[in-house]
Amino acid sequence: MRQDRLLRALRNPRKRLPVSRRRFIRTSLGTLAAGAVVGPQLFRPQMAYAAGTDPIPVPGSPNLAPFHVWAPIFVDSIDAEPATITNFNGVAGIAYLNGNVTRTNLKTGAVDVLPFLDADMRFMQGVYRGADGKPRQGTFGFV
Amino acid sequence: MYDPSLGFQQVNDFNPGINPYPDGLFWTLQIPDDSVSVHPGEGGAIYKVSNLQVRDFGDIGSAFNGAPGVPATVSFEVRWSGVEQRLHITDRAAGFAGQFVRGGAQMSWSAVSGDYSYQSDALETSSSDFAETGTERNGVFFPRS
Repeated sequence: MRQDRLLRALRNPRKRLPVSRRRFIRTSLGTLAAGAVVGPQLFRPQMAYAAGTDPIPVPGSPNLAPFHVWAPIFVDSIDAEPATITNFNGVAGIAYLNGNVTRTNLKTGAVDVLPFLDADMRFMQGVYRGADGKPRQGTFGFV
Repeated sequence: MYDPSLGFQQVNDFNPGINPYPDGLFWTLQIPDDSVSVHPGEGGAIYKVSNLQVRDFGDIGSAFNGAPGVPATVSFEVRWSGVEQRLHITDRAAGFAGQFVRGGAQMSWSAVSGDYSYQSDALETSSSDFAETGTERNGVFFPRS
């Protein structure tokens, strides 16, 4: 489990640990929070949506502002909401995935194998009310 | 992806962006209805998409900072399975409730970005640190009283 590896790394800081996407989120948000203090104009709220049929984002985690998302386990509680759209009633899924991928340089043909760590993949499917308030059926992916 | 030869520096971050930046839909876009097949009570689900147009931001810092990224195409299949825990969550502060099953998940995927193509190992070789499926309701569908 990733948590075990993090705990081991904390106990043994000399042992190098790959920086996962979620772990980096915590670091990046610290940077963003500092930026918000120094220059709040950078994150002026702009609640503009492209069209009335578009879904509205969840209010999201206070820990992740100005972004409208929850990140269960590392940034937020393990019980935090997986969905990223609000006014939603349906099925949802979330997973943090690990594995290996082969990268090929299409020009040189060079090949190497890289890890992917804690890839955050989610889906939502069901009824939602967009900016126009009308109920619709839809399926959404989080990549 | 992380490159061990560069001290595990992140070298790719594929997502559809934040639209509009920074307070719009977060890495979320509409996909065909047949992309998802779910059996929420059993913890099983399949989330499969082909040739999805996204951006490659290189690393998550660039993705968070509103960088434009470069065009990329991804295809993937994620499979949830197993039942380790069943739970009913009601979070009045966040304004959502749901019934979830926690278990495991696996993924295979491929992508093309710039001069590189990517092909993951077989789905069966992957693993998950956290996997959950279920039903949930929020916003106007979450009764606050």
